[in-house]
Amino acid sequence: MKERAVFASSLCKEYRIGDVIIEALKDLNLEVEKGEFISIYGPSGAGKTTLLNLIGGLDKPTSGKIVVFGHDLNAYDEDFLATFRSSYVGFVFQSYNLISTLTALENVAFPIELAGGSSERVEKHSKKLLEMVGLLHRADHLPAQLSGGEQQRVAFARALANDPPLVLVDEPTGNLDLETGLEIVRILDGLKAKGKTIIVTTHDERVMKLANRILCIKNGKIVTANE
Amino acid sequence: MSDLGFPLKDLARRRFQTILTMVGLILCTATTVFLVTFGGSLGFQVSLVTGEKLTSGFSYIFSLFIVIISFLNFLAGVLVTSFLVSTTMSERIRDIGIMKATGCSANSAFSYFLTELSIIIFTSCAAGALLGILARFICISLLNILGFSISQKPVNLWVILLIFVAFALASHILGVRPIRKAIKVKPAEALSPLFQLGTTSGPKGPASSKLGLTFKVAYRSLMRRRSATIQAIICLSVVLALTTVTVAGGMVANQTTQGYVERAIGRDVILVGHPNITRQYVDFLSQFFEAKPMEQINYSSPEYRISEPLISKLNSTIGVHVDPRLILEADVTEVQGTIPIEDPPYILFIGDRRHAQALIIGVDPKQVINDWLIVGRVLNSADVHSAVIGDSLAYEKFDNAMKQSAFILGNKTEIVGVCLDPLNKGYVVYMPIKALSEQPNYNLLFLKVEPSKRSEIIAEIREETGWEPYELNEVLDKHLTFLNRIWSLVMVLPLSSLVTATLCLLSYMMLSITGQQRELGIMRALGAKPKTIMKTIFTQALLIVLASGAIGITVGFAVTWLFLIPEAVVSLTTLASVIEWLVLALSLICLTSLYPALRATKKSIAGVISQP
Repeated sequence: MKERAVFASSLCKEYRIGDVIIEALKDLNLEVEKGEFISIYGPSGAGKTTLLNLIGGLDKPTSGKIVVFGHDLNAYDEDFLATFRSSYVGFVFQSYNLISTLTALENVAFPIELAGGSSERVEKHSKKLLEMVGLLHRADHLPAQLSGGEQQRVAFARALANDPPLVLVDEPTGNLDLETGLEIVRILDGLKAKGKTIIVTTHDERVMKLANRILCIKNGKIVTANE
Repeated sequence: MSDLGFPLKDLARRRFQTILTMVGLILCTATTVFLVTFGGSLGFQVSLVTGEKLTSGFSYIFSLFIVIISFLNFLAGVLVTSFLVSTTMSERIRDIGIMKATGCSANSAFSYFLTELSIIIFTSCAAGALLGILARFICISLLNILGFSISQKPVNLWVILLIFVAFALASHILGVRPIRKAIKVKPAEALSPLFQLGTTSGPKGPASSKLGLTFKVAYRSLMRRRSATIQAIICLSVVLALTTVTVAGGMVANQTTQGYVERAIGRDVILVGHPNITRQYVDFLSQFFEAKPMEQINYSSPEYRISEPLISKLNSTIGVHVDPRLILEADVTEVQGTIPIEDPPYILFIGDRRHAQALIIGVDPKQVINDWLIVGRVLNSADVHSAVIGDSLAYEKFDNAMKQSAFILGNKTEIVGVCLDPLNKGYVVYMPIKALSEQPNYNLLFLKVEPSKRSEIIAEIREETGWEPYELNEVLDKHLTFLNRIWSLVMVLPLSSLVTATLCLLSYMMLSITGQQRELGIMRALGAKPKTIMKTIFTQALLIVLASGAIGITVGFAVTWLFLIPEAVVSLTTLASVIEWLVLALSLICLTSLYPALRATKKSIAGVISQP
């Protein structure tokens, strides 16, 4: 039996906006094995991003249990969660979320520097990652000087900076044209080949085709699961 | 919505920012009103009120201090208002975009925000003026409770009005600029998530990553908001210059003026004379801090004369320095003087035969124990019809005393020096005794006695004359306490400028953090601990405070030493206190940034990174 990467049980997440309570996730259960590629789709507001945030330790559930690589995320404080995110999780956000004041190279180097890498290693490894996504020639450019596809590729390089076992990707091709999207699909394929555990929210069939499992979320619940 | 409806609701909705702006302006207006009106009650010329206390020389130092502080306060007030309005507008740029996109004209939007500005300015200036008047009332009451007699005369409403109008007008002029700038932004730009007022596209200049990740991110963020950063530095520099002048100037001026008084009166001096004469002399000295009606006495009455044998005996006693004097009152009349002008050559006549009643003191120039702060020279043995005159007499009754002479007791007398002297509020003339009386004829002795012989000598004099010697230390200490209390009250001002500086930085940090909220969230998502975020924000605050401190404190010290205090007396203790104060002020201002930093780390990461 394979080891479990993610285990979520009876997961609920509510948001309060004034007097209104919005239930983003309702009693959701999920198990992901190490090295598995999961693709999640569903309508807007279904809870896909909320689920990724909870798995990545960016947010805490209102109730329920979530264990990632053996760590019960509910039990930890913000300091530990920061270390957890730095060591176990690589995020690729839908809107890229690069730090606008840092260059492409510095954005990739940021998580490595946070983890305490030596400056020589930081520079060498960051350049290697940028080369991997084909953007070494854009190393000294600020995010505002890069196209959407380039920013997305920098975001991928940054997500892999600390070689995390889990990569969470939110709508990676949603904002890109077909051709640029294809480059992202190739990167994801490469990550799959490396044995990373990958959870992607997407509506792109090219991405879905890479997945071991495809899940559909509706109204905060997983409604279908295709192997 | 009515013309006032939107601005009032908007101000109430953004309570924190509104209060920050108002508190900054209220403090600056109140401090200026307090300084000018409190100064007026103490007789400083700046308030256009005739002097009642102190001498012209001391009044000049206080007045200059008040003028400089008031000017810096004024500058700080309008700059802080403009800066806070700028930060407010950059936060509202999106709202303006939405207003314009939904059909609101640029003029209407401009008038809404101008109305907001006017409400803030008029309310704050009025509240500041009232607070300043109240502070003056409290301070004068406090001084009177402590034993000084300062009248609670009505404040000069014209001066208050002038300060109010100056603050309101200047704040409007500088405050309207950022509003105009924000209104000019196109709706599409204002609504774009990439657009932020006062930001630049990228960092300028390299920041060595060897200084660490925190420094790099902090430096880049400051550079990205370059115009806001520069504005914050200018504001803080002015406020810190104000703090430095108040702290350094206040402490040094306190010590220096106390030094002047001590030099003029003399420490450990014993006064020997008939009780009427010693009381009269002490009352003349006390005029400096207490308006007392003076008795008319006949100074040349034989009963007041000090016997020659007593003077000779004391003179021959080892460890006793005797300074015999003849005091009397007389009219001093200004004599016209001339100043030769070279180009074109002509003679300028100065003086207007003004006259005043002054205390005349005949001295033996070799024996004088005082060591005044003096312009010109002291008397010497060769002088006959020469005089050193007090500062008030010189500045109020002469055009240029050092170029003029005076008629005193029927003789034309050359003025060789002007001294800073609290005696008779500076209306005093020191002359050689031989100009006053052919035979040595004294009615007061000043003695400086070695501490070991002090009680023995006092007992001897008491036995020989039946007069009670008077120790001048008592009245000297009252002078010093008076000066110390005035400066202490003035020293409350650094607190207000400190609050203003803190508000400035707080506002800048709030703006900066609001702008960086998303990026701070991304940093946390990538594994930055709350400690790292706090360090980054604190580094930003530290860089701003250090830059402002370097400029502000240098300017403050330069103003203090170059313009404020002649012959400054600075002890190591004072210097240490000044440094302690400034370090404390800078640290407090820096620590302020921890509040918005803490708020930033408490926000949900998922929430902030999903913001547009």
